[in-house]
Amino acid sequence: MATTSQPTSLPRRAAVIGGNRIPFARANGSYAHASNQDMLTAALEGLVARHGLAGEQVGEVAAGAVLKHSRDFNLTREAVLGSSLSAHTPAYDVQQACGTGLEAAILVANKVALGQVDCGIAGGTDTASDAPIAVSEGLRETLLQLNRAKTSGQRAKALAGLRPSHVVPEIPRNVEPRTGLSMGEHMAQTAKRWGITREAQDELAAASHRNLAAAWESGFFDDLVTPFLGVTRDENLRPDSSVEKLAKLKPVFGRGEGATMTAGNSTPLTDGASVVLLGTDEWAAERGLPVLAHVVDAQTAAVDYVTGDEGLLMAPAYALPRLLERQGMTLQDFDLVEIHEAFASTVLATLAAWEDEEFCRERLGLAKPVGSLDRSRLNVHGSSLAAGHPFAATGGRIVASLSKMLSEKGPGARGLVSVCAAGGQGVMAILEAA
Amino acid sequence: MEPDVEVETLQQPPSLPRLYATAALTARGRSGSGPLPERALRLSDVRVDRDRLLLYQHLCGFPAGDVLPHTWPQVLGFPLQTELMARRDFPLALPGLVHLENTITVHRPLTADDVLELTVRAEHLREHPRGLLVDLVTEVTVAGEQAWHGRSTYLRKGRSHDVARPAPSPEMPAGEPAAVWRLPGDTGRRYAAVSGDVNPIHLHRLTARAMGFPRAIAHGMYSTARVLAALGPATSGPSTSRVWFRKPLLLPGTVALAVERHAGGEVVAGLTSRDGEVEHLVLDWRPIR
Repeated sequence: MATTSQPTSLPRRAAVIGGNRIPFARANGSYAHASNQDMLTAALEGLVARHGLAGEQVGEVAAGAVLKHSRDFNLTREAVLGSSLSAHTPAYDVQQACGTGLEAAILVANKVALGQVDCGIAGGTDTASDAPIAVSEGLRETLLQLNRAKTSGQRAKALAGLRPSHVVPEIPRNVEPRTGLSMGEHMAQTAKRWGITREAQDELAAASHRNLAAAWESGFFDDLVTPFLGVTRDENLRPDSSVEKLAKLKPVFGRGEGATMTAGNSTPLTDGASVVLLGTDEWAAERGLPVLAHVVDAQTAAVDYVTGDEGLLMAPAYALPRLLERQGMTLQDFDLVEIHEAFASTVLATLAAWEDEEFCRERLGLAKPVGSLDRSRLNVHGSSLAAGHPFAATGGRIVASLSKMLSEKGPGARGLVSVCAAGGQGVMAILEAA
Repeated sequence: MEPDVEVETLQQPPSLPRLYATAALTARGRSGSGPLPERALRLSDVRVDRDRLLLYQHLCGFPAGDVLPHTWPQVLGFPLQTELMARRDFPLALPGLVHLENTITVHRPLTADDVLELTVRAEHLREHPRGLLVDLVTEVTVAGEQAWHGRSTYLRKGRSHDVARPAPSPEMPAGEPAAVWRLPGDTGRRYAAVSGDVNPIHLHRLTARAMGFPRAIAHGMYSTARVLAALGPATSGPSTSRVWFRKPLLLPGTVALAVERHAGGEVVAGLTSRDGEVEHLVLDWRPIR
């Protein structure tokens, strides 16, 4: 009955074949003089070297950065051109705040699934050190006016508009444009609403450091990380971190008695880059590359944080039920769960919301709660509190690590990735061991 | 290395500003002809200064990171070359010496973790239609293994000799420019700050004029590095480059890069003025397979 040529059944599942990142460095540390393009190129070159892709034409490279200079309008393509990949490899930039890296992986995986590309690379990079600094709005308008001026009279008039205050530059701040509140201040409100204790946050932070240190110690990252500028391990990692030490830190977000969020249970500003190699099983097999996992499904969600209806970083809580329903799964079916630790309280508030009957009924429209998660399955090799969080690079870090962890568990093992993002957004994906 | 050459190990890299001053003061009274000193200078246990490397990579357009660019060991070896040439027993005066050609072979990729040993010697003093030629050879080993080799050929202009010209360079690639670079007036100062080569002809209009140039000129190894960086990351791998310098590149200046790729991976690149009238250099690069 099949008279037309339909070579493969579509959609097909995209395979995660490998990943690579550079060690993450604390802002204004070892990568202070490295640009986003430097770091993305380095992460890409490491992936190319490990998978023998030098001179190869890859279907596409999708990556991005959250803090981006205007000169980096074609950041990913420039990184490709600076790499050993064939210059015939197309590339484009993606930006969805901290969801960038995971969203890029979903985009490439979807193109693989639809048969539009056989392979692709997704990633992200961010530097809080080499951040763009903009001129003030007044100076910018004056300079544009000056550029448009045709006569010396018009030029003089434009220059007359200059004010001393215009000289002060604008440095990017980690603040929501519509609320004027920093991400930490938003999260402090949510943490209070869910009654997330200081102790629980510090415990999660200590576990993150402990787990990441153990993963480094066991050699887990040997084929996932390429050293860069002399850094061989995540700089933020404190293997000797403990609940006792974390308890000594003063709160930095929130006010008064109820303030629980410290520099220890919040992610620091970080520099770094990561990439993930995706493709079809056939493409991987042709090159003798083992497949670690497959991308099963993905879901994004957004919440109304502007009116205070929901917490800024709670969108992943809303994405999950849609995924579970589509896949006929429960939260408890996952062997491994990776929830990006923007703050320890983000993870804890999300877990609390899924356990809450009223929230699940009123907000998620569920007859019964999502339920609780076996914490031994959560962020088992550490997460952003220990590794650091170069915004757009976090998705690639998690996808690569989770794919390898699932592959070690054996065929069919399933994992969930959850990343919250500025603007009240959340990105989620399900991976399954090959 | 020839066995009868005495090797002198230096404790630290020589200071280029001091050497330039010494060389200028001792320029007169040199014999102007052989023999060359039978001595090699060596620097052992050379570790990569990563901050300086990153500045160099950014300035020349190489990818930032741990892979050492094709031309990096040349930067490290240059103070040894200068030390050798500034000493009393070197027959040619250093000021006015013209860098005519440079050949580099990368035997194996070098990384910032490699501990290098550099050995520099002078050899092959010979006649040229416009004076005398001498080669300064730099060898780099890592743990005793040959890793990088460079040969810089300098011309001491002087009495003409009735000898054949050296083999010509490849033809300047024709066609539309692959890239156009605007090199600002401070290009020489920026490269000097990273490379340490503070030769006054590169630094400022006034210091260059004192040496007979209308304006500051770009370092030959800067232009070479820019061209190699533009050819892509493969140049850091096992490969050989040979560059022939033609006319000086006056700063500030706008130059055009032309690239011709041949079968077998060989690339010929040329750097000219924007209008193509002035030829600055021709470079041949080929991978070692």
